[in-house]
Amino acid sequence: MRMPDLTALLTAAAVFTSALAFAAKADEVHVLNWKGYGADEPWAIEAFEKATGNKVVNDFFNSEQEMLTKLRTNPGLYDVVMINAAFNDQAMAEKLIQPIDTSKLPNYADISKDKAGSPMLVHDGKVYGVPWVWGLTALAINEKSFDKPPTSIAEMWDPAHKGRVTIRDDAVEAVQFGAIATGQNINDIKDMEAVKAKLTSLMPQIKTFWSSENDWNQMAASNQIDIGTYWSGSADRAKTHFKLPVALVIPQEGAVAWLDAFSIPVGSKNVAGAEAFINYMIDPKFYVEWVTKVGAPVSANTKAVEALPGDAFNRKVMGDPAVAKRIQFQAPITDAQREAYLSLWQQLKVDVK
Amino acid sequence: MAVQVAAASRSEPSSALPLLAPAYLWLTVAIFLPLSAMVFFSFMTDLPLSGKPWAFTLENYAAFFSQSLYLTLLVASLRLGLEVTLWCIFIGYPAAYVLAKVLKGRSREAIFLLVILPFWSNGLVRIFSWAMVLREGGILDTALNAVLPFKINIDLMYSYPAVIIGLVHSYVPYMVLTCYLTLQAIDDSLIEAGRSLGASRLQVLKRVIIPLSMPGLVAGAALIFVPVVGSFMEPRILGGRTGTFYGTVIEDQFVAVFNWPLGAALSFILLAVVLVILAVASPVLRRAT
Amino acid sequence: MATTRVLEWLGRLYVWLLLAFLYVPIIIMALMSFNVSPFYQLPFEWTTEWYASLWQNDQLISATWNSVEIAVITTIICVLLGSAASLALYRYEFRGKKFLQVLLFPPIAIPWLITGTAMLIFFFGVGIGRGLFAILLGHVALALPYVIVVVSARLQTFAPELEEAARSLGANQWQVTNRVTLPWIMPGVIAGGLFAFAVSFDQFVVSYFLSTPGQTTLPVEIYAAIRKGFTPEINAVSTIIIVVSMALMLLTARFFKFGGEK
Repeated sequence: MRMPDLTALLTAAAVFTSALAFAAKADEVHVLNWKGYGADEPWAIEAFEKATGNKVVNDFFNSEQEMLTKLRTNPGLYDVVMINAAFNDQAMAEKLIQPIDTSKLPNYADISKDKAGSPMLVHDGKVYGVPWVWGLTALAINEKSFDKPPTSIAEMWDPAHKGRVTIRDDAVEAVQFGAIATGQNINDIKDMEAVKAKLTSLMPQIKTFWSSENDWNQMAASNQIDIGTYWSGSADRAKTHFKLPVALVIPQEGAVAWLDAFSIPVGSKNVAGAEAFINYMIDPKFYVEWVTKVGAPVSANTKAVEALPGDAFNRKVMGDPAVAKRIQFQAPITDAQREAYLSLWQQLKVDVK
Repeated sequence: MAVQVAAASRSEPSSALPLLAPAYLWLTVAIFLPLSAMVFFSFMTDLPLSGKPWAFTLENYAAFFSQSLYLTLLVASLRLGLEVTLWCIFIGYPAAYVLAKVLKGRSREAIFLLVILPFWSNGLVRIFSWAMVLREGGILDTALNAVLPFKINIDLMYSYPAVIIGLVHSYVPYMVLTCYLTLQAIDDSLIEAGRSLGASRLQVLKRVIIPLSMPGLVAGAALIFVPVVGSFMEPRILGGRTGTFYGTVIEDQFVAVFNWPLGAALSFILLAVVLVILAVASPVLRRAT
Repeated sequence: MATTRVLEWLGRLYVWLLLAFLYVPIIIMALMSFNVSPFYQLPFEWTTEWYASLWQNDQLISATWNSVEIAVITTIICVLLGSAASLALYRYEFRGKKFLQVLLFPPIAIPWLITGTAMLIFFFGVGIGRGLFAILLGHVALALPYVIVVVSARLQTFAPELEEAARSLGANQWQVTNRVTLPWIMPGVIAGGLFAFAVSFDQFVVSYFLSTPGQTTLPVEIYAAIRKGFTPEINAVSTIIIVVSMALMLLTARFFKFGGEK
């Protein structure tokens, strides 16, 4: 335990780690996104790198809050960030993201007008987010448990499925789901007591709360659940890619829709690379390959959706005008609301213990 | 003279310094200072990082007392910690004894290492494997039904017992190891002397072995009880509907709503409670022997 | 004597049962790395495709190496610093000693999530930033208390008379420590080292907060993978790690004695 040895060792440790330390280089595009969400597909990165000479470095987050924290604590590190439209406003207000020059993105013109012009992404006439894909938080069923797919959200409360229902462990999603089940506007919930009562009666039905796509698929694969809330893109991927007996149901009562968009963080060292990357992400060629190889949500680029085969889920089901009428897009939520939803959700979980 | 030298060395704090300084300096930089920052945050209305105006407040600590759910969950977590610790003692202590006193030579070394090894695998992967064993139609269910003449349904997954099994599995090596360290140090001649004086096995165990191995038992219990009370990963994945504990609500405050001040306040309350329990328990345990 | 033999036999049986319990998930993990279904679906269908695709997965492999390197360095530092501190806490009486001992518990008691967040903010604030160095800094701090607690437990069984006897025979402080005390606490030091390695190697939360793109560890990669693209590649890499460490450990066991001399 002599001190010189110790110092030598510490120095060695410091040298070892600093040798591995790295700095962002000019021709690198640092992308912050969910893991396994398009932007990190090896074939896509390869194609992009070959076409533009930029090198892609991926980093991931596990929640929107964490994404914001990473932006706050690493100014200048990221060039592209994927932000749910409902959080775009907050990121802009905190000066974490910068306006995007859409004239540099040839594919931007093909983005559907209602998405491109979303007030969540455009502030004072400046574009802070390029719509990428959208999807639903709806229901999915285990096909082994149903002769014909249910049409109503009430199926979740059916005693026949007691102990075989799952719902995501997410306060906001749970409360908005409760709002739909009680026929309310998810962005303007008037009767919180009704939502609480509805969810309280759902709790005994529940097997477990899922938190990742993998949870859901494992439970479906081992036939542990009948029905539960699920994301549209994930349900499609479970069916087409993993060949699981899973089918999406968009109940007549409606479903929650979300829009994901790309932004450029303030302080990006490679804005040109970021623009090229975003343009590539909304390109029909990338999208079709993504859907075919992996399974993906619905592109915000109309040309990209049209490039899919006519019977593709993202074109046939998600493009159905009747579906468009039933869905409600998520609007930004204040911190106070989020806190209130969480405390309601925690109380429900404690009561059912 | 020997006594004098010893007495001298035992009252020489200056020579303790070079031995203590590196460890505590490291702990200060990497844990105590960051945690002090956290203590500071726990008295704030909002994080300075979030770009919003903030002020000092006691509200985060008051929240614990104003909502019954926190107290309920804290009690549930303490109970979980106690149960897991007791199971670990019950399962781990005899194994440590056999390892220290029955097995000899190479096989002892090998088994000692085999007990630690599962520890080196990834915690999440381990939990997923348990899910596979415990669920309906899983390995335990299938195996039992293959052996038993009658049909039974085993579905332990997403229940309190599943959480206990997962946690005991993760923490029992701590108990085996710490107890082994003190049991192995007991001189065999002490045990033999006790036996030859006519004491029964149980008496030797109670009067000699347990008291002498107490430091290991206490260390093991502390190393298990303390982290289990704040655990959130195992309860969340294995506990399903029943998996909400104090650790999971702290996690929610940090991850889901970004309310670090409240999350920090809740964890410092947890720390205070745990320290009080340790302070009360350790002299009681020592006196009990 | 017959009872003794029966009891000893039962004891051995018990230890093997415990090992069986400890290895249940490990065996499942290994089996599933050879199963076709990525969702642990049965019936079992043999494949080695996960090992093949693991070979292609540079990110997972480099994260694994990072984990191994950090865990090894953490272990060495913790063993040195921790043993020194335990010795001092055992050997000397001074004011504030109790306080120093109590200070070991916050790092264990406060959920790693909070510690990780606190480190992130603090390291960010003082300019250490994130990356492998920050991860190492954090891992050592997390594992140190474990080492100190474990080594101290062993030290409590130590008879101070032994040190005194050595001194009375003319040995100086260094000789006493080196020849008498260290051999006695060696099993504790080794156990502490094994703990430190485990704490670091399986440490997810703190690494997660302190990692940057390209500088991650295996548990961070695994957690990120589980969110979307979980594949049994993770089982494959875990299986390889377990098999390799088992081989290394059993090899070491042939050359080392962990029982301590008596």
